[in-house]
Amino acid sequence: MNRKLLDILVCPICKGRLTWESGAGELHCRACRLAYPVRDGIPVMLEDEARTLSVEEMEQNK
Amino acid sequence: MDLAAIRRTYRRYAGHYDMVFGPVFHPGRRMAVETANQRPGRRILEVGVGTGLSLPLYRKDIQVTGIDISPEMLAKAREKVAEQQLENVEALLEMDAEALEFEDNSFDVVVAMYVASVVPNPDRLMAEMRRVCVPDGEILIINHFASENPVLRGLERTLKPLSKMLGFHPDMALDALPDEPDCPRVGVHRANIFGYWKLVHYRNGPAANGADVVDSQVGPD
Repeated sequence: MNRKLLDILVCPICKGRLTWESGAGELHCRACRLAYPVRDGIPVMLEDEARTLSVEEMEQNK
Repeated sequence: MDLAAIRRTYRRYAGHYDMVFGPVFHPGRRMAVETANQRPGRRILEVGVGTGLSLPLYRKDIQVTGIDISPEMLAKAREKVAEQQLENVEALLEMDAEALEFEDNSFDVVVAMYVASVVPNPDRLMAEMRRVCVPDGEILIINHFASENPVLRGLERTLKPLSKMLGFHPDMALDALPDEPDCPRVGVHRANIFGYWKLVHYRNGPAANGADVVDSQVGPD
Protein backbone atom coordinates (compact mmCIF):
# COMPACT_ATOMS: atom_id res chain seq x y z
CA MET A 1 0.00 0.00 0.00
CA ASN A 2 1.27 3.39 -1.03
CA ARG A 3 2.51 5.37 2.00
CA LYS A 4 1.43 8.68 0.52
CA LEU A 5 -2.09 7.30 0.05
CA LEU A 6 -2.29 6.22 3.70
CA ASP A 7 -1.34 9.77 4.68
CA ILE A 8 -4.47 11.23 3.06
CA LEU A 9 -6.99 8.37 3.20
CA VAL A 10 -9.60 8.43 5.99
CA CYS A 11 -12.22 6.05 7.41
CA PRO A 12 -15.63 6.67 5.78
CA ILE A 13 -17.30 6.64 9.24
CA CYS A 14 -15.06 8.45 11.72
CA LYS A 15 -12.73 10.19 9.22
CA GLY A 16 -9.74 8.94 11.21
CA ARG A 17 -6.60 7.41 9.74
CA LEU A 18 -6.50 3.79 8.56
CA THR A 19 -3.83 1.15 8.90
CA TRP A 20 -2.80 -1.22 6.13
CA GLU A 21 -2.91 -4.85 7.22
CA SER A 22 -0.89 -6.62 4.57
CA GLY A 23 -1.69 -10.12 5.92
CA ALA A 24 -5.43 -9.61 5.63
CA GLY A 25 -5.09 -7.34 2.59
CA GLU A 26 -7.41 -4.85 4.25
CA LEU A 27 -7.49 -1.31 5.56
CA HIS A 28 -8.43 -1.26 9.23
CA CYS A 29 -10.07 1.39 11.35
CA ARG A 30 -9.56 0.36 14.96
CA ALA A 31 -11.81 3.12 16.31
CA CYS A 32 -14.77 1.81 14.29
CA ARG A 33 -13.67 -1.87 14.45
CA LEU A 34 -14.06 -2.07 10.70
CA ALA A 35 -12.01 -3.61 7.90
CA TYR A 36 -12.28 -2.19 4.39
CA PRO A 37 -11.45 -4.68 1.65
CA VAL A 38 -8.81 -4.08 -1.02
CA ARG A 39 -9.85 -5.96 -4.14
CA ASP A 40 -7.29 -6.38 -6.92
CA GLY A 41 -5.35 -3.49 -5.44
CA ILE A 42 -8.42 -1.22 -5.30
CA PRO A 43 -9.46 -0.14 -1.77
CA VAL A 44 -13.24 -0.20 -1.35
CA MET A 45 -14.06 2.84 0.78
CA LEU A 46 -17.73 2.07 1.39
CA GLU A 47 -19.35 1.36 4.76
CA ASP A 48 -21.62 -1.30 3.26
CA GLU A 49 -18.63 -3.31 2.05
CA ALA A 50 -16.73 -3.19 5.35
CA ARG A 51 -16.38 -6.13 7.71
CA THR A 52 -16.54 -5.91 11.50
CA LEU A 53 -13.29 -6.90 13.20
CA SER A 54 -13.59 -9.73 15.70
CA VAL A 55 -12.49 -9.39 19.32
CA GLU A 56 -9.55 -11.72 18.50
CA GLU A 57 -8.46 -9.50 15.63
CA MET A 58 -8.67 -6.42 17.84
CA GLU A 59 -6.48 -8.22 20.40
CA GLN A 60 -3.96 -9.38 17.77
CA ASN A 61 -3.53 -5.94 16.30
CA LYS A 62 -2.85 -4.25 19.61
CA MET B 1 -30.70 8.33 -9.29
CA ASP B 2 -29.25 6.57 -6.29
CA LEU B 3 -25.84 4.94 -5.95
CA ALA B 4 -27.17 1.43 -6.56
CA ALA B 5 -28.76 2.56 -9.83
CA ILE B 6 -25.54 4.27 -10.90
CA ARG B 7 -23.54 1.12 -10.15
CA ARG B 8 -26.00 -1.02 -12.13
CA THR B 9 -25.86 1.33 -15.11
CA TYR B 10 -22.07 1.39 -15.25
CA ARG B 11 -21.82 -2.36 -14.72
CA ARG B 12 -23.77 -2.54 -17.98
CA TYR B 13 -21.59 0.10 -19.66
CA ALA B 14 -18.17 -1.13 -18.52
CA GLY B 15 -17.51 -3.63 -21.32
CA HIS B 16 -18.38 -1.24 -24.15
CA TYR B 17 -17.69 2.14 -22.58
CA ASP B 18 -14.40 2.95 -24.32
CA MET B 19 -15.70 2.06 -27.76
CA VAL B 20 -19.07 3.79 -27.45
CA PHE B 21 -18.28 6.82 -25.28
CA GLY B 22 -14.52 7.18 -25.73
CA PRO B 23 -14.51 9.21 -28.97
CA VAL B 24 -17.49 11.39 -27.97
CA PHE B 25 -15.96 12.40 -24.68
CA HIS B 26 -12.33 12.60 -25.79
CA PRO B 27 -12.11 16.33 -26.70
CA GLY B 28 -13.42 17.26 -23.26
CA ARG B 29 -11.07 14.88 -21.48
CA ARG B 30 -8.12 16.23 -23.41
CA MET B 31 -9.09 19.81 -22.63
CA ALA B 32 -9.44 19.14 -18.89
CA VAL B 33 -6.18 17.17 -18.67
CA GLU B 34 -4.30 19.85 -20.64
CA THR B 35 -5.49 22.41 -18.11
CA ALA B 36 -4.46 20.13 -15.23
CA ASN B 37 -1.10 19.47 -16.92
CA GLN B 38 -0.03 23.11 -16.99
CA ARG B 39 2.21 22.85 -13.96
CA PRO B 40 4.47 19.91 -13.00
CA GLY B 41 4.61 18.01 -9.74
CA ARG B 42 1.00 18.42 -8.85
CA ARG B 43 -1.26 15.91 -7.15
CA ILE B 44 -4.49 15.38 -9.02
CA LEU B 45 -7.69 13.65 -7.99
CA GLU B 46 -9.92 12.45 -10.79
CA VAL B 47 -13.45 11.93 -9.48
CA GLY B 48 -15.34 9.40 -11.59
CA VAL B 49 -12.20 8.06 -13.26
CA GLY B 50 -14.28 5.29 -14.86
CA THR B 51 -12.34 3.05 -17.24
CA GLY B 52 -9.33 5.37 -16.97
CA LEU B 53 -9.58 6.84 -20.49
CA SER B 54 -7.86 10.05 -19.38
CA LEU B 55 -5.08 8.45 -17.31
CA PRO B 56 -2.56 8.10 -20.20
CA LEU B 57 -3.03 11.82 -21.04
CA TYR B 58 -1.54 13.16 -17.79
CA ARG B 59 2.09 14.31 -17.67
CA LYS B 60 4.33 11.69 -16.17
CA ASP B 61 5.49 14.09 -13.45
CA ILE B 62 1.93 14.56 -12.20
CA GLN B 63 0.61 12.14 -9.60
CA VAL B 64 -2.91 10.96 -10.23
CA THR B 65 -5.42 9.32 -7.90
CA GLY B 66 -8.71 8.13 -9.37
CA ILE B 67 -11.98 7.19 -7.69
CA ASP B 68 -15.17 5.66 -9.03
CA ILE B 69 -18.27 3.97 -7.65
CA SER B 70 -18.28 1.17 -10.23
CA PRO B 71 -15.90 -1.74 -9.57
CA GLU B 72 -16.37 -2.96 -13.15
CA MET B 73 -15.26 0.39 -14.57
CA LEU B 74 -12.32 0.54 -12.15
CA ALA B 75 -11.20 -2.96 -13.23
CA LYS B 76 -10.84 -1.59 -16.77
CA ALA B 77 -8.85 1.38 -15.44
CA ARG B 78 -6.56 -0.96 -13.53
CA GLU B 79 -5.89 -2.93 -16.76
CA LYS B 80 -4.90 0.29 -18.54
CA VAL B 81 -2.54 1.30 -15.74
CA ALA B 82 -0.83 -2.10 -15.89
CA GLU B 83 -0.71 -2.43 -19.69
CA GLN B 84 0.55 1.11 -20.29
CA GLN B 85 2.76 1.14 -17.19
CA LEU B 86 1.27 4.39 -15.93
CA GLU B 87 3.53 4.74 -12.91
CA ASN B 88 2.24 8.21 -12.09
CA VAL B 89 -1.15 6.73 -11.20
CA GLU B 90 -0.80 6.46 -7.44
CA ALA B 91 -4.07 4.77 -6.60
CA LEU B 92 -7.50 3.77 -7.83
CA LEU B 93 -10.24 3.53 -5.21
CA GLU B 94 -13.89 2.56 -5.03
CA MET B 95 -15.62 5.52 -3.44
CA ASP B 96 -18.74 7.71 -3.54
CA ALA B 97 -18.06 11.00 -5.34
CA GLU B 98 -20.22 12.75 -2.74
CA ALA B 99 -18.21 11.30 0.16
CA LEU B 100 -14.53 11.62 -0.72
CA GLU B 101 -12.63 9.72 1.98
CA PHE B 102 -9.55 11.96 1.94
CA GLU B 103 -8.16 14.52 4.35
CA ASP B 104 -8.88 18.18 3.61
CA ASN B 105 -6.45 19.90 1.19
CA SER B 106 -5.08 16.64 -0.20
CA PHE B 107 -4.87 17.59 -3.89
CA ASP B 108 -3.72 20.54 -6.02
CA VAL B 109 -6.26 19.88 -8.75
CA VAL B 110 -9.58 18.04 -8.54
CA VAL B 111 -11.19 17.00 -11.83
CA ALA B 112 -14.65 15.56 -12.54
CA MET B 113 -15.48 14.69 -16.12
CA TYR B 114 -19.03 13.75 -17.04
CA VAL B 115 -19.87 13.21 -13.37
CA ALA B 116 -21.87 16.24 -12.21
CA SER B 117 -25.09 15.18 -13.92
CA VAL B 118 -24.70 11.57 -12.82
CA VAL B 119 -24.49 12.02 -9.04
CA PRO B 120 -27.69 12.47 -7.01
CA ASN B 121 -26.50 15.72 -5.33
CA PRO B 122 -24.20 17.93 -7.43
CA ASP B 123 -23.94 20.39 -4.52
CA ARG B 124 -22.43 17.74 -2.29
CA LEU B 125 -20.07 16.64 -5.05
CA MET B 126 -18.87 20.21 -5.43
CA ALA B 127 -18.50 20.73 -1.66
CA GLU B 128 -16.43 17.56 -1.37
CA MET B 129 -14.24 18.49 -4.36
CA ARG B 130 -13.56 21.87 -2.75
CA ARG B 131 -12.80 20.34 0.63
CA VAL B 132 -10.11 17.95 -0.64
CA CYS B 133 -8.61 20.63 -2.91
CA VAL B 134 -5.95 22.98 -1.51
CA PRO B 135 -6.81 26.69 -1.16
CA ASP B 136 -6.17 28.39 -4.51
CA GLY B 137 -6.18 24.97 -6.14
CA GLU B 138 -8.10 24.22 -9.28
CA ILE B 139 -11.41 22.46 -9.77
CA LEU B 140 -12.26 21.33 -13.28
CA ILE B 141 -15.67 20.06 -14.28
CA ILE B 142 -16.61 18.75 -17.68
CA ASN B 143 -20.29 18.31 -18.07
CA HIS B 144 -23.22 18.60 -20.36
CA PHE B 145 -25.38 21.53 -19.41
CA ALA B 146 -28.90 22.11 -20.58
CA SER B 147 -28.95 23.72 -23.98
CA GLU B 148 -30.14 27.28 -24.48
CA ASN B 149 -31.46 26.27 -27.88
CA PRO B 150 -35.26 25.78 -27.45
CA VAL B 151 -35.40 22.73 -29.74
CA LEU B 152 -32.56 20.92 -27.97
CA ARG B 153 -33.92 22.02 -24.61
CA GLY B 154 -37.24 20.38 -25.52
CA LEU B 155 -35.43 17.18 -26.49
CA GLU B 156 -33.55 17.15 -23.19
CA ARG B 157 -36.80 17.55 -21.27
CA THR B 158 -38.24 14.64 -23.25
CA LEU B 159 -35.25 12.50 -22.33
CA LYS B 160 -35.46 13.37 -18.65
CA PRO B 161 -37.63 10.37 -17.64
CA LEU B 162 -34.96 8.14 -19.21
CA SER B 163 -32.21 9.47 -16.93
CA LYS B 164 -32.09 6.21 -14.97
CA MET B 165 -31.42 4.20 -18.10
CA LEU B 166 -29.02 6.74 -19.61
CA GLY B 167 -27.06 7.02 -16.39
CA PHE B 168 -27.15 10.81 -16.35
CA HIS B 169 -29.55 13.74 -16.25
CA PRO B 170 -29.74 15.29 -19.72
CA ASP B 171 -31.15 18.62 -18.54
CA MET B 172 -28.82 19.92 -15.81
CA ALA B 173 -28.40 23.70 -15.93
CA LEU B 174 -24.99 25.34 -15.67
CA ASP B 175 -26.41 27.39 -12.80
CA ALA B 176 -26.92 24.16 -10.84
CA LEU B 177 -23.19 24.40 -10.10
CA PRO B 178 -22.12 27.14 -7.71
CA ASP B 179 -20.42 30.36 -8.69
CA GLU B 180 -19.55 31.82 -5.32
CA PRO B 181 -17.19 34.62 -4.36
CA ASP B 182 -14.92 32.18 -2.53
CA CYS B 183 -14.87 29.70 -5.41
CA PRO B 184 -15.24 31.71 -8.60
CA ARG B 185 -15.54 30.32 -12.08
CA VAL B 186 -12.42 31.48 -13.88
CA GLY B 187 -13.50 30.06 -17.20
CA VAL B 188 -16.28 28.31 -19.07
CA HIS B 189 -15.06 26.70 -22.28
CA ARG B 190 -16.74 24.69 -24.97
CA ALA B 191 -15.27 21.23 -24.99
CA ASN B 192 -16.44 20.33 -28.47
CA ILE B 193 -17.65 22.00 -31.61
CA PHE B 194 -21.32 21.97 -30.66
CA GLY B 195 -20.71 23.24 -27.16
CA TYR B 196 -22.78 20.35 -25.86
CA TRP B 197 -20.03 19.65 -23.32
CA LYS B 198 -18.44 22.45 -21.38
CA LEU B 199 -15.36 22.72 -19.23
CA VAL B 200 -16.03 24.79 -16.12
CA HIS B 201 -12.84 25.91 -14.42
CA TYR B 202 -12.95 27.06 -10.79
CA ARG B 203 -10.33 28.53 -8.51
CA ASN B 204 -10.83 27.18 -5.02
CA GLY B 205 -11.08 29.72 -2.16
CA PRO B 206 -9.73 31.98 -0.72
CA ALA B 207 -11.25 34.25 -3.31
CA ALA B 208 -9.13 34.89 -6.36
CA ASN B 209 -8.98 38.65 -6.81
CA GLY B 210 -10.46 40.11 -9.92
CA ALA B 211 -10.97 36.79 -11.65
CA ASP B 212 -13.28 37.60 -14.51
CA VAL B 213 -15.23 34.83 -16.11
CA VAL B 214 -13.75 34.10 -19.51
CA ASP B 215 -16.47 32.73 -21.73
CA SER B 216 -14.95 31.28 -24.85
CA GLN B 217 -18.23 30.50 -26.53
CA VAL B 218 -18.04 31.49 -30.16
CA GLY B 219 -21.54 30.97 -31.43
CA PRO B 220 -25.09 29.96 -30.55
CA ASP B 221 -25.37 26.82 -28.47
